[in-house]
Amino acid sequence: MTTYSKTSIAESYINTSPFYGLQLKKLAMYSTVTLFACIILIGFLTPFAYAIVTASKDEPQVKRGVVLPYTQDTYTYEGKELPLYEVPLADGTTRTLAGLSLKRGATAQNEFIDPQTNEIVIWEGNYRELKELETLEIHLWENITSVWENKQVNFPIMLRNTFAIAILGVIGTLLSCISVAYAFARFPIPRKRALFLILVSTIILPSQVTLVPTFGFFAAIGWTGTWLPLIVPHFFANAYNVFLLRQYFLTLPKELDEAAMIDGAGPFRILVSVIIPQSLPVIMAVTIFHLVFAWNDYFNPLIYLLGKTELQPIAVGIQRFNYVYDVKPHLIQSSMLIGLVFPVFLFLVAQRFFMRGVVVTGVEK
Amino acid sequence: MSKKMARLFVVFTVLMLAIGIIPAMAQDKTVIVWYVGLGAGGQPEQIEAQNAVVEAFNASQDRIELQIQIVDNNVAYDTLATLIATGQAPHIVGPVGADGSNAFAGNYLDLEPLIAESGYDISQFSPASVEAFRYPGQGLIGLPFATFPSFIYFRKSLFDEAGAPYPPQEYGVPYVDVNGEEKEWNMETLRELAMYMTVDANGNDATMAEFDATTVEQWGFNSQWNEPRGISTMFGATSLVGEDGGAVLPQAWTDAFTWYYNGIWVDKFIPNASQAGSDLLANGNSFSSGRVAMAHTHLWYTCCVGDTNDWDLAVMPSFNGVTTAKLHGDSFRLMRTSADMPLELQLASFEVLAYLLGEASDELLLVYGGMPARAEDTESFFATLDERFDQGVNWQVAIDSLAYADSPNHEYAMPNYLKAKDRIGAFQSLIEGTPDLDIAAELEKLVADLDVIFKEEPAEVTPEA
Amino acid sequence: MDITKSSSSSQVKVKEKTFSLYRRQQLWGWVFLSPWIIGLFAFTIMPMLASLVFSFMDFKLTEPDAIKFNDFANYKKLLVDPLLGPALSSTLKFALIALPLSIIVPIGLAALLNSKYLIGRPIFRTLFYMPYIVPVVSSAYIWGGVLNTDTGWLNRILFDLGLGKPNWLFDINLIYPALNIIGIWGVGNAMLIMLASMQGVPTELYEAARVDGANGLTIFRRITFPMISPVVFYNLIISVIGIFRYFEVPYILKEGTGDPNNATLFYNIHLYKNAFAQQDMGYGSTLAWLMFVIALAITLFLFATARYWVYYGSGEQA
Repeated sequence: MTTYSKTSIAESYINTSPFYGLQLKKLAMYSTVTLFACIILIGFLTPFAYAIVTASKDEPQVKRGVVLPYTQDTYTYEGKELPLYEVPLADGTTRTLAGLSLKRGATAQNEFIDPQTNEIVIWEGNYRELKELETLEIHLWENITSVWENKQVNFPIMLRNTFAIAILGVIGTLLSCISVAYAFARFPIPRKRALFLILVSTIILPSQVTLVPTFGFFAAIGWTGTWLPLIVPHFFANAYNVFLLRQYFLTLPKELDEAAMIDGAGPFRILVSVIIPQSLPVIMAVTIFHLVFAWNDYFNPLIYLLGKTELQPIAVGIQRFNYVYDVKPHLIQSSMLIGLVFPVFLFLVAQRFFMRGVVVTGVEK
Repeated sequence: MSKKMARLFVVFTVLMLAIGIIPAMAQDKTVIVWYVGLGAGGQPEQIEAQNAVVEAFNASQDRIELQIQIVDNNVAYDTLATLIATGQAPHIVGPVGADGSNAFAGNYLDLEPLIAESGYDISQFSPASVEAFRYPGQGLIGLPFATFPSFIYFRKSLFDEAGAPYPPQEYGVPYVDVNGEEKEWNMETLRELAMYMTVDANGNDATMAEFDATTVEQWGFNSQWNEPRGISTMFGATSLVGEDGGAVLPQAWTDAFTWYYNGIWVDKFIPNASQAGSDLLANGNSFSSGRVAMAHTHLWYTCCVGDTNDWDLAVMPSFNGVTTAKLHGDSFRLMRTSADMPLELQLASFEVLAYLLGEASDELLLVYGGMPARAEDTESFFATLDERFDQGVNWQVAIDSLAYADSPNHEYAMPNYLKAKDRIGAFQSLIEGTPDLDIAAELEKLVADLDVIFKEEPAEVTPEA
Repeated sequence: MDITKSSSSSQVKVKEKTFSLYRRQQLWGWVFLSPWIIGLFAFTIMPMLASLVFSFMDFKLTEPDAIKFNDFANYKKLLVDPLLGPALSSTLKFALIALPLSIIVPIGLAALLNSKYLIGRPIFRTLFYMPYIVPVVSSAYIWGGVLNTDTGWLNRILFDLGLGKPNWLFDINLIYPALNIIGIWGVGNAMLIMLASMQGVPTELYEAARVDGANGLTIFRRITFPMISPVVFYNLIISVIGIFRYFEVPYILKEGTGDPNNATLFYNIHLYKNAFAQQDMGYGSTLAWLMFVIALAITLFLFATARYWVYYGSGEQA
């Protein structure tokens, strides 16, 4: 028995079995696993759906408390918009009537009006149990434009700020991290291993320890309320990106450096004309990482740009928008969509670099 | 990256930098910063009006550049503290009430010398209302601007649907309930009425046995945007600060918090935190959703009451024979940005203050929903409100409520103010969010904690009337 | 740079030359390294020392004239701070759920994505990863809506299934599960790292195990897990630090109030409130250092346990 099962497992693993039964079993496996993954995926995507559906409602729809953006149909009578119901009448027919005067209770005498004839119909019963007439109306684009154009939280300016902060940060990160990674990858620095360990260990240093003095320092030199605290530190390298770049630089053959050196190129020339051109994928990855980081950074802009609404990036702006419009969930969710459309787009477009970067920093440590 | 790409990149970056930097270039006018957020001023229509007022001021003269900084109320305190700390304090703050004043006591300018220097006419205000802004040790730190009495807003259509009579609109008048019974308009009557006005999906109300608390669609009452010290004034005005500077909890407020807690979790006529934060109740602006029958709040709530004009005002109920209608009073304050602030700058700030209290006041008071400090402006103020709320609101209720103002005011000073307020805020979210709470034990804990907080910094704060 | 000039003997010239080249290279190395060295001092070492000094001082930004040493008052305050206990215990309670999940969920998802029976793997990988990209602020608000007791989608489903309406964000027993649900949504990064490391396990090992008749669980326990254990370890360390840093989601959902009953008064929120909302930078620094010491102790402890369960194939330690 044991020998038999051994071979069959090994076989099923290595080659496609000619047996029909095994094929069926495989088919079952495929569908089970894929179905299971689909169920989890639905869980992962539901919040996106929630945001989109809520952002598609208008205010009356939100207040109705229905799941999908359905509007209650109305009939305008003497300047008033009356809700339409399907009312089952005593004669067995069901008519579409507008509620003129609705009263609480199971035996209440409710006045309805027939939209066709303007005839008053009295109906006894609990009107809350009647079926409401409703129409699906999607207001997504209208909400997004009204968020975009709102006068209180200026989204175009927030976007401009975010891009400016992010791009300046990217420049700083690239200049400094490439330089530092180059040093670690190519130069005979004494105690390099120890230094590198220090670099990596700064990843696990909780930032709060440095938060207060750093804030105090920037406050003392008058940088709070400007972008500088959000940009300048990136000109001094960060561990993740240095690590990522160094790992990549180490894989580049040294022969090319040496050839350039023989041609009389200095270390700087080698970096610019040999290393960097070969490292564009990883540089792309660092760029994207930093863009996403800057886009999502909330805490630092929050404390450094308190009150400077005209300088704040979108993460802080979205939260500000939420306080101003906290009573309008449909607009809040629309602002969320505005906030996530760029990073998601960037991710989908540049997925390849992204995944590669994640894998290097995470796995090859 | 190709050369072309690289060049594009550089141009783009420079452009980005330029857009960011150009607006920051200085001009030679005196810049006066007006900081909004400690009180009213954060609602969309208010922001618009404030911006318009600033524009009009800047267009009217060329010596002063007025800049406005609007911060959301919930971060306004942190932000202002940070701005003061980093030497970027604004020149003028407001509208701000007692609460904001207490939080930054000692940072305000005494207006007396500026009034003398500029020859400003303060006789336009009643002397008593001016004196209310004189604080021992700080001087005259404000001038009268807006008062906000509080009362009950109620939604007529919901009472019509229920067939229930409206709550009383005159102080001292009893309430005649749905069965024709005459009752004193007190907290117990309010509770009964609010339960009757709380309805589930099947149309059963909270007084009925069939009532299903999991499907409530309409609530009887809520305390709209009030903090605990304000909510409890319905049971009388008193203070949490004892004679010796420690914390005390008067019996009336024990009753108040118990009433409020039971209203949410036992009788279910007040929405709990989660319900209030849901889409059904407009994420916290519950009364505006049309699903709440009665709400206790101030005149400033006209800012946010919503588009459905089917509400009116009712008077505050009494407790143990005493009626209290808590009062907010807001004004603008000038800040001392430094100990030796140039007089010229002070006068420029004062000029802005005079403009806000004078020329701009009509427009601002309307969006803030504040009754004008100058008595002769009251009539036109309500007339303009009537244009917006065309259902015919009984504004006399608001005027009458002034006579029942709370004293001490619910926003009185406490030692270690920000921390104490934070603790009280935590208590509020606790009772609004937690069923099956031992409310007596929680109140005991609150008092014990406040006692520690008060004594941690037995500040030289001067209590406010 | 003067080294070349100082050489006198022709005998040592060659040696000198290579030596000088070496020195020159070394110098260049320092030049390229300098941004990080400067940054390390300016933004890590100096601030750390400064915050250590601040922790012994009365230091309020609003009262710059009153800064002075205060005789360990901040450390004494640690003992009487009524909110420090709740802050520590809520962080611990959260960690007890979040840490295991931060390992199990990404491994599970990675195993799923690594399964040869899954059709359309790249699509699943992309979509599982995507929520990680969503700004934390957005994700907090979106989940705030999804988890709302009365109108949230989750409860609408549960209610229709007859499971009632759990009060996710207000019930003291449900708040941690709720926050963890939000956390799991952003698990994509860890998942991807696990996946990559699983794909790095040599297939010969699996084949050999199958030949030996090992079942799936044994294979995972004996082969997959040891092979990916360095990555698991790395994720564990990052998760521990992440828990101490935990701030945005509870801060936004609860506006920093800490409710219900201080259950969301996480350590970092407590620190932020003391240092920034109440402007007590001295006590804030003390809290930061306390956290640093705790985090360091936990990290060292984890490193000490690592040799019992983390497998480094080449014998090289990270």
